[in-house]
Amino acid sequence: MDFTITKNEEAFRLELRSWLEENLPPGWLDGNKELPKEKEAYSQFLRDWQRKLYEGGWAAIAWPKEYGGRDATLMEEIIYHQEMVRIDAPPLINYIGIHMVGPTLIQSGTEEQKEKHIQKILTGEEVWCQGYSEPNAGSDLAAIQTNAVKEGDKWIINGQKVWTSFGQFADKCFLLARTSYDREKKHRGITAFLLDMHQPGVETKPIIQMDGKQEFNEVYLTDAIASDADIVGEVDKGWRVMIALMLHERTGIGAELFTLEKRFNDLVEMAKEHEVNGQPLLKDSFIRQKMAGLYARVRGSLLNYYRNLTITLKQGHPGAESSIDKLVVSELTKEMAAFAMSIQGHQGVLWKEDALIDTRWQENFLASFGQTIGGGTSEVQRNTIGERLLGLPKDLGR
Amino acid sequence: MDFALSEEQEMFRGYLRKYLDDAGQTKLAREYSKGKTNELKATLQGLSELGATGINIPEVYGGLELGTLDLVPVFEEMGRALLPGCYLETMGFAVPLIKKYGTKAQKEKYLPEIAAGTRSITLGVIEPKRDFSPYGIQCFAGKEGDDLVLTGTKTLVPDGDLADTYLLLVRTDEGDGQTGLSFVFVDHQDGAQLQLQKCIDESKHLVELSFDEIKIPNERLLGEEGQGWTILEDGLLYLNAALSSMMVGGMEKVVDMATEYAKIREQFGQPIGRFQAIKHRIVDMKLELETARSLSYYANWALESEEQEREATIYSARSFATNAFIEVASHNIQIHGGIGFSEEIDCHLFLKRARYYESYLGSVNYYNEQIASGLGW
Repeated sequence: MDFTITKNEEAFRLELRSWLEENLPPGWLDGNKELPKEKEAYSQFLRDWQRKLYEGGWAAIAWPKEYGGRDATLMEEIIYHQEMVRIDAPPLINYIGIHMVGPTLIQSGTEEQKEKHIQKILTGEEVWCQGYSEPNAGSDLAAIQTNAVKEGDKWIINGQKVWTSFGQFADKCFLLARTSYDREKKHRGITAFLLDMHQPGVETKPIIQMDGKQEFNEVYLTDAIASDADIVGEVDKGWRVMIALMLHERTGIGAELFTLEKRFNDLVEMAKEHEVNGQPLLKDSFIRQKMAGLYARVRGSLLNYYRNLTITLKQGHPGAESSIDKLVVSELTKEMAAFAMSIQGHQGVLWKEDALIDTRWQENFLASFGQTIGGGTSEVQRNTIGERLLGLPKDLGR
Repeated sequence: MDFALSEEQEMFRGYLRKYLDDAGQTKLAREYSKGKTNELKATLQGLSELGATGINIPEVYGGLELGTLDLVPVFEEMGRALLPGCYLETMGFAVPLIKKYGTKAQKEKYLPEIAAGTRSITLGVIEPKRDFSPYGIQCFAGKEGDDLVLTGTKTLVPDGDLADTYLLLVRTDEGDGQTGLSFVFVDHQDGAQLQLQKCIDESKHLVELSFDEIKIPNERLLGEEGQGWTILEDGLLYLNAALSSMMVGGMEKVVDMATEYAKIREQFGQPIGRFQAIKHRIVDMKLELETARSLSYYANWALESEEQEREATIYSARSFATNAFIEVASHNIQIHGGIGFSEEIDCHLFLKRARYYESYLGSVNYYNEQIASGLGW
């Protein structure tokens, strides 16, 4: 066992750290982390931030150098996430472009597709979303009904997508649509399209979430148009492309874990500072007990991740064990967020400007319910772990 | 970044697994429950020949002089087999303390025999109707010339019938709390009264040791007189890192059992592992196991490192694994259904062992509080 960081890795960390200090939006490190409220201004702010990352060479570090990346190692990617979480950097508006679509096009896109998109993904000129879920295809994603019909050299696409993150800003969509129907295997007959969002056949409506935010969208497709040149891989073989695309997002869970760790440390600070009847919350024996338990679990989930990372580093690809990380981090985030509410007592119900301590705790609590649903529900994760890792029999109907 | 046991350590685990499989795994614990010790003793001697009892002992005393991480495979595999004996107390408590606090004479007396597998040491701390705290220690060792005269009773001494030596926490000076506490070695021949206690985990032989003015020489003190509680706290770091590995071994077996049973047991025309009520529960058990394993590996690593949060790290492993072991062992019975409630199947043995460890030398609450204070909360 060896937890030491190499000299190169440490140099990488310091280089990034000093770049961030110079280039973060004004006042960011002094605590002014307010993002613009209005949609256009919000989008512009984050596009500017991505442009800056691009100019500094920090937008897509895992990409090959020839495409504008740094050929970063897995450990460098981990360090990158640690540093971004540490200073609470502005979110990456083109997360999907950088971590999923870009690498997919680099690996299996046509020369024309690379020429058209890669540079713009890097700079943030082209913000991407993914068109996967539909009203009748959630966990059962292969049940999608949005269809694409060939007419001349065009594909005419009709249907509805839902839970589309970044849809309100996106210029492009990595879309799954049905191009044929296989009676036996419904994941056959799905094709992956690179769809232009700025066209009359595409309409985006925001979904207001239970926490009041609008991060997801419904996307209505009415005779939306794509061409042959917009197909990734082969017609009817988009499922495979989508799976490969998801594998490119190799360190996203790491970022979630570092966020969880940071939030736990914030919770400790909160419990140290906030006093009830003159006594800090952390001196209450019940709270100490629960917090010690959370400490163990946060620590344990990070250590699980490092253990799985070790396997990935040794064998060159992630082992089945890494499917555990997403389930653990989302469930633990939810539990911790609920606990942070509970220890505020009845006053924990106050939020926004009336929040007892900081409305982030109330927001985290509400937002945490999305984490065990998005990106594969905890139930789907348990099926995956049960079947792939433990070899239990497959669920009926799949 | 390299967070895994080394290839050599995994290979050693392979040998141990095979050896204990051949010895009948939990069969040894079942026979020990009935008072039969021949096969067990032969197996323990065999493990010693494989090197298990020399791992953390210096070469000059006949050991292999390896690190604490090299003990992990042994603890896990013993936990998996529920192997009786006081290997945990000997290698995970007595040895590191003898190395650290023992006199040259004590090292020469105990370490070579431990390495050879001819001496095992168990631990006596708790006293009847008293708790796990400095106030609970009332066993008294008064000075009489060059001797100590020992009077009192220690209870719940693990596998005291197999041990050759007892390491006891006693009061060497009047006083309250931590002052006046010291560790002493008492050998089996010194004349303690042994009374076997009936334990819910029958593969654990607990004994009550009574001392009625037993004379032992002064040189039997371990470490400085009056420093007993501090030495205990130091030893508990080693013991709990080791114990968490032992529990991980047990949990791993339990998860294997539940998984295998869910694959072969059919109801409603299909394996029950197809039902999500069963499948998801087993997955949750697997998560508990893997988290406990990560914490325990790190705890054993932290013993020999400069990790800042050393105490919190080690006690996290203990506290988490303790609860997790009870939980997975309980679920395992439910997943097995009726047969899981029977004596015939091993499910209950693991539950009983998990319960046995629940408050062994400190409850979960005690260790959670240690985490909190260790972090300066």
